[in-house]
Amino acid sequence: MLQRPTSFATEVLRYGLIVLVLAFIVFPILWMVVTSFKPPQDVMVSPPRFLFTPTLDNYVHAIWEKNFLFYIKNTLFISVTSTVLVVVAGALAAYSFARYNVGDGHILFFILSTKMFPAIAVILPYFLIFRDTGKTAVGRFLGVGLDQPGALIISYTMFNLPFAIWLLVSFFQDIPRELEHSARLDGLSRMKVLRKVVFPLAAPGIAVTGVFTLIFCWNEFLFAYILTRKTASTITVGVESFFTLQGILWGPVAAAATISVLPMMAFVLLMQRYMVRGLTFGAVRG
Amino acid sequence: MYELKAVHKRYGLAKVALRKIDLTVRDKEFLVIYGPAGAGKSTILNILAGITRPTTGDVLRDGVSILHLPPERRDAAMAFENYALYSHLSVGENLAFPLHARGMARAEIDQRVKRIAEILGIGHLLDRRPGFLSGGQRQRVALGRAIIRPADIYLLDEPVGHLDAKLRHKIRAELKALADDLNATVVFTTTSSREALALGDRVAVLNQGRLEQIGTPADLYHRPANAFVASFVGDPPMSFITVEPRREADRVAFVTPDGMPVATLRADALDGLRPADASIQVGFRSNEVRLAQQGDSAALRGRVDVIEHLGHSKIALVGIGRDQVSVSVPAHTSIHVGEEVAIAFPRDAVHLFQDARAVVHAVPSV
Repeated sequence: MLQRPTSFATEVLRYGLIVLVLAFIVFPILWMVVTSFKPPQDVMVSPPRFLFTPTLDNYVHAIWEKNFLFYIKNTLFISVTSTVLVVVAGALAAYSFARYNVGDGHILFFILSTKMFPAIAVILPYFLIFRDTGKTAVGRFLGVGLDQPGALIISYTMFNLPFAIWLLVSFFQDIPRELEHSARLDGLSRMKVLRKVVFPLAAPGIAVTGVFTLIFCWNEFLFAYILTRKTASTITVGVESFFTLQGILWGPVAAAATISVLPMMAFVLLMQRYMVRGLTFGAVRG
Repeated sequence: MYELKAVHKRYGLAKVALRKIDLTVRDKEFLVIYGPAGAGKSTILNILAGITRPTTGDVLRDGVSILHLPPERRDAAMAFENYALYSHLSVGENLAFPLHARGMARAEIDQRVKRIAEILGIGHLLDRRPGFLSGGQRQRVALGRAIIRPADIYLLDEPVGHLDAKLRHKIRAELKALADDLNATVVFTTTSSREALALGDRVAVLNQGRLEQIGTPADLYHRPANAFVASFVGDPPMSFITVEPRREADRVAFVTPDGMPVATLRADALDGLRPADASIQVGFRSNEVRLAQQGDSAALRGRVDVIEHLGHSKIALVGIGRDQVSVSVPAHTSIHVGEEVAIAFPRDAVHLFQDARAVVHAVPSV
């Protein structure tokens, strides 16, 4: 590509814009982390104080008094279970849509159309359904009821599955059929072909789907707020409980938020390894 | 022995890939399926492999139907035309894949991979992913993955089509030698006449889903069943001149519409010729005719349209009336485009076609 010589002014403008955008993205996160280490009297002062004696009191408060680890444990269980369900069911569904064109595109469109109404539209029916299932023996056994993890797992799975299927279909469509034929001839059964050839080649898609789903579940507030009270509450609901009658406990809120970000960051960094483009490059003559 | 019995394959309602094909693949033979693009060559391989099910008809192995057998239980090895390499695995892992699937011992796998890679000249690429190879290298990996393991039948779908000329020549020779060594049954598809004639114990010529002719390379070359085979097998293809018969007592003379005599045959050799005298063509190979010299009695006059240099000889495309014929001339012959030339026919190498079907081959003229 032809590179035009850039003047000093253009460079300044370029980096100026980058700094501006970064400020909007990075500053809130930075402020959250900084606030989590501030003593109470330094949190809300104006003008904001950048120099202070760091303290771990907020973390102690969040973890011991508000029992924040309990919310994290709940959230982990609910998010990971729904993500696994979404990825497994989504991958199998997407594979058959991609390979066998089930429903001639109509079913696929119908599935996506369930994402076209806002979540709040279904929250009341969900509430009523889970209230009733929670009273049945099976519902109690599976934990599907109000303030039970099963209710959130089912809600999150239903809500993420359409998007996951749509995302995955295109990844499976990219895998040439001949690869499966070849693997069959090489002696693998249908299921083994999926395991050894198809899913490894769709790994980037599966990783992306997993990340999106997990992030959605982790950050979801509305369903968690309506469908849980105490025993199945997640971190977003947990943070909400810091908004007390005595006022908002900003220090502990920041500490709780910082703790909640860490597992997600670790997970995304871990999955980044699989999110590579062009895994099917070179499979067939292009 | 594999048999296709009246195999018909239709895709959707309208697209017919194979029309009632009867084809036998004998044990230990090298069968070449030769035809233009879209003739149905790959479909035949896919049906033998169990990837595609025929719409009607049956596939037998040693007399027993194998239609119900899935690909993994057919003991067929296949090299795909578009390679179908496992792009998430290295070249070495690709080659080892069918061996792993069969649970072969580690040491033997390594040994086989090494040997095949050496034969195909890809030994230095074993650690690379297919995405980092050239087209020719990928094709060799695809071929290697097919021939690395013992199989009842090897199905090779244009496995050398995308190699450069020198490599194609080399791999072709190796493949033939390897097939003889392994005593293997091979079905090989190609769009190259030269490849078909060079490799095949027998060659099946396929056109638009129809089996036009099956036979030894010599059969196809010297006794083509119809004008399609004649014009498709051999390079340059057979030339045709449209003629009209003139009956004279016990012989028939064939003359061009302009009245120039091409051949005269004994009437008793022409049993196959139907009375309807429309659309009769005389066919001949470029090396069966020569430029006429002083003293040749019957000769066709024409004008040189194009000259192709082959190195060891030249091919002159000569326009005669509305037909164009190829004549092979020695490399040192002085000949120019636009020149008027005369073509002399030998006495014993005439092929006669009526309505594109062969009537007689190589009947001595009188």
